[in-house]
Formats: sequence, C-alpha cells, structure tokens
Amino acid sequence: MKKIASRKLSILGRLLASKGSALALIFLVGITLAAIFADFLPLNPVGQKLANALKGPSATNWFGTDELGRDILSRVIFGARTSLVTAGGAVMIAALVGVPIGLVAGFFGGWRDAALMRFVDVLLALPAILFAMAMIAVLGRSQAAALIAVGLTGIPSFARITRAQVLTLRKRDFVTAVEAFGGTATYNMFRTILPNSWSPIFVQVVVLCSVAILLEAALSFLGVGVPPPTPSWGEMLRTGKSYLHEAPYYAVLPGIVLTLTILSFDVLGRALSGLLEGHRDPIIAPKGEGATP
Amino acid sequence: MIGFVLRRLLQLAPVLLLASTAIWAMIYAVPGGPIGAIAGDNANPEQIAAATAQFGLDRPVLVQYADWLWNAIRGDFGISIRGRAPVLQLIGERLPATLQLAVAATIVSLVIGIPVAIASALRPGSWLDRVLSGWSALALGVPTFWLGILLILVFAVELRWLPSASAYVPIWENPIGALRNLALPALTLGIYVSGILARFLRASLVSELRADYVRTARSKGLPERQIVGVHILRNALLPFVTIVGLMMANFIGGAVVTEAVFTYPGIGRLLIQAISTRDYPLIQGCIVIILVLYIAINLAVDVLYAYIDPRIDYR
Repeated sequence: MKKIASRKLSILGRLLASKGSALALIFLVGITLAAIFADFLPLNPVGQKLANALKGPSATNWFGTDELGRDILSRVIFGARTSLVTAGGAVMIAALVGVPIGLVAGFFGGWRDAALMRFVDVLLALPAILFAMAMIAVLGRSQAAALIAVGLTGIPSFARITRAQVLTLRKRDFVTAVEAFGGTATYNMFRTILPNSWSPIFVQVVVLCSVAILLEAALSFLGVGVPPPTPSWGEMLRTGKSYLHEAPYYAVLPGIVLTLTILSFDVLGRALSGLLEGHRDPIIAPKGEGATP
Repeated sequence: MIGFVLRRLLQLAPVLLLASTAIWAMIYAVPGGPIGAIAGDNANPEQIAAATAQFGLDRPVLVQYADWLWNAIRGDFGISIRGRAPVLQLIGERLPATLQLAVAATIVSLVIGIPVAIASALRPGSWLDRVLSGWSALALGVPTFWLGILLILVFAVELRWLPSASAYVPIWENPIGALRNLALPALTLGIYVSGILARFLRASLVSELRADYVRTARSKGLPERQIVGVHILRNALLPFVTIVGLMMANFIGGAVVTEAVFTYPGIGRLLIQAISTRDYPLIQGCIVIILVLYIAINLAVDVLYAYIDPRIDYR
C-alpha cells in the first residue's frame, strides 16, 4: 500500500516538475474549486439589471455584463459547474459502459468480441457531434440528455483501450494461474486484469474530459445542449456571437476560459500518458511507435 | 481491383444497415412519437388520427420499418414535415455547399499541416519543433466555434475585409465571391485539422527518418533535399492519405458547428434546423445521407491506398 502511495506522489511530483503540466494542473484545480464553492463567492449569475446591459469589463464586472446586465464572470464560474458536472458525468458513463465491454470482448474473444466490437463500430460510424445531436433529438433538451449523449460517444474509446490492454495481459502467467486455481472469469476480469489496466484507462479519463467539455460546449453553442437559464460556456458564446459589434469581450472572455480548460486537460492527459505509459502522444503513438525522445 | 471494391462494400453494408436501423429505431422511440411533431402539440384527436393515417403510423412497427428501409434504399426519405418538400431534394440543395467547404478546408489544412510537420520533424526536439508542436496542440484545443468567432471579430468586424456570414457561391460561377465567402469557414476548419495532420505526419516522418534506406541514401551522398522530398515524403505520405480521407469524411457531417458559426447553408445547418423543429423524416434523411457519404469516402480511401501502395494486395 505504502509503495503505491509513494508512486502516486512521485507521479504528481513529476507532473509538477514540467512547467506546462504544472500550469494546467493549477488552472484546473483553481477552476474546480471556484465551481464547487461558487455559492460562497460574491457572485450573481442571475441578477438582471437592464440599465447595466453590455457594459465592458470594469472594476465591478471584471468580464463585463451581458445583454440582460448580468455579470459575465459570475456566469463563467457557474458555467464551469455546468461544464465540469456534464463532462465528468459523461466520462463516468463512458467508462462504466466502455470498460466492461472491453473487458468481456478481450477476455472471451470469439462471438462476444465480434458482437460487442460491431456495436462499438456502429457508435463510431457517425461523428460524435451528430450522434449526440440525434440522441438529444430523441431525449429532448436537458442537462441529463447532454450528459448521456456525450457519455455514449465516449464508450468506443474506453472499450477499445481496455480491450487492447486485456489482450496484452490475457495470456500472462498471473492471469492463467488464477484460471488454473479455479478463479471465475468475473474474478479474473475485475480483480486480476482490471487492476493492472488502470494507467491507460486513467489517461483516457483525462483525455476524454477535454473532449467531453468541448462537445458539451459545442452542443450548447448549437442551441441543443444544457437549456437556459442555466449558465453554460457554449450558450454564452452563442449569445455573445450576436453582440460582436457592441460587446466583443462577451464572446471572447468566456471563450478564453473554455479554451484554457480544454487545453489543460489535453496537456495533462499527454503528460500522464508519457509518465504512466512511456509515450508522448495518446492520439498518435500506438505504443512506442513514432514516439519522440 | 473490382473484387476488392465489392468485398469492401459487402463489409460496409452491415454497418450502414445497423446504423440506419438504429437511427430509425431511435426516432421511432421518441416519447410521444413523431406524431406530436407532425400534428402540432395542440392538435385535437381528429387531426392526430388524420396525420397518423397520412404518414402510415397506424401500421405495425415492422411494416413501417420495412417500408422506410425499402424507400430509403431507393433514395426516398419521405416528405419533410416542416418544409413540405421531399427530404432528398432539401438535402440535395445543401450538399454542394457542404462539399465545397470540405474541399476548401482540406486544402487549407494540407497547406498549413504539411510544412509544419516537415519543419518540426527535420529537427526533433529543437526550439522550432517545440514551437510548432505547441501550435498543433493549440490548433486542436481551441474550439472551432470560438476560433470562428475570433476570425469574424478580426476580419469582418474590425478590418471589414470579409463577410461575417458566409453564403454559398459556387466557385465556377464567381470564383472571387466564392473565395471571399469560403475564406473564414475554411480557415476555421482547416486550422483545426492541420493540428491533427501535423502531429500525425510529424510522427510518421520521424520514424521514416530512422529507416535503413535513409542511411543508404545519405551514404550514397544524395542531397538532403532529395532524401526528404523524394524518398521520405513518399513513404510518410502513405498512411497520411488515410488520415486526410478520414478528415474529409468528418467534414461532411462534422462541419455542423462551423456551418453554424458562419450561418453557412450546408447540410449540417439543415440538420440542426431539423432537430430544433423535430422534423423527423428530415433528421433521418440527413443522418443517413451523411453516413453514406462518410462510408463512401472511407471506401474511396481504402481503394486509393491499395492503389498507391504496391505492398497492399488487393486481389
């Protein structure tokens, strides 16, 4: 136990040692804390003051005010709550469905593998944003619908990564030993193989957080995501776009926060992938190939 | 070659069938069903009955499905509920706009992505490589809708060089007008994709640079330009074709967001309109057509790949 704890600590230390990932981590911790404790901060995301509409950044309204005179910074921070909750929930759904699919497909092979992976292929057949939009057309527009839609699009990546991991472990001695001693398939999958597959799954969680935040914001930007009046970053950019002439800061400032959040998760995901698995780029490098020194 | 194409088609047919069945079933399972959207939310029972009969929704599920599938195979997706026009006609009007944008964006992404990849692959780890890698990460991380907004702010609102809303102008009718309208959306999509292309091509260039034939070429005394430009690039571009193809396929449906930013009249905006008005035949039609194009482009890439890489046996 002690060993694991110190390993985790050393990974955190090595993350903080690199300037890029340290900044990303600090930014994400900051925005998460702000989202959690938003209720205790002197913020007012819903207070309308029409006389105060579309005023540029000032000492009282750091990010300016929107078309109803609401404080944009307050809405950005409460929007962080919407984004992080939707993205976090979506990634959880994707992992809870995708990881078992990958485990079963990789462990048993054969028809179970073929059937499950065809199901995953069908999910992949449409671009994620279209699939999510179709889901929302069916479920109706709500935060839960956005969460489920984004979550479903993440299932294939978890299923594939877990399956690949299972395939490399399946014939290893410690797995066959459990089998020889009469360990059930379920025990073997969840207690023997899964604990040895955490690193790539964890990296995928971080990478997918950035994808999920982007997708949720895109859905809100298109007007099919989390419905107003709940503040969300995508919705703010959507409205801000109508006021580009009068109030350019309206679309620009929330966009900076959104972009920094996505980039931070991406930087962190790639750094973790390098530390935990020894390659730099989760998007390109199929283990070792094309990885740079 | 023909056998290869046919076999790939046979492999793709089940995916298409499963996916379109899933789309049909999803829409069929909508709470309240399509009938609410057709007759309107305040319809009286007679109107609902009339609409149900008109659209054949009173028949058994399997009959409805078989009927839909048979019509879909013949290209008939029914009549749009709101537009009162055949779905295929509505899609056909939008498709050229989407294809023109997809081609333009692909060109932009190649023009940016290839030089970036070559420059950074030649000196891995140098400051230039780090700057360009950072740029790729930025291109990938910046949401396209925000990038589009920034471009509009700079080029349309401040400089007033380009229109902030892009219309579809066929390039063969009015090349300059078409380019003016295409510039910002193509740049938005192209920059994003150039990030993916640059990362991918850089990785494959770096691994090619370590190959034996490069050492041979160097020891023969070939100039570095020729080694990179002729030998390495040709090998590295092979896997690259697949990525470019996938990107183009993604543009067809995935340009939804960019089309929305620039109010560009492509198939993506048609789909958003269809979803917001609950126009179910139009939703089904759009998604199935996008899916067909997506799969067709993937097939074309496979064939092209087998054709340009003599190592692949396509018999």
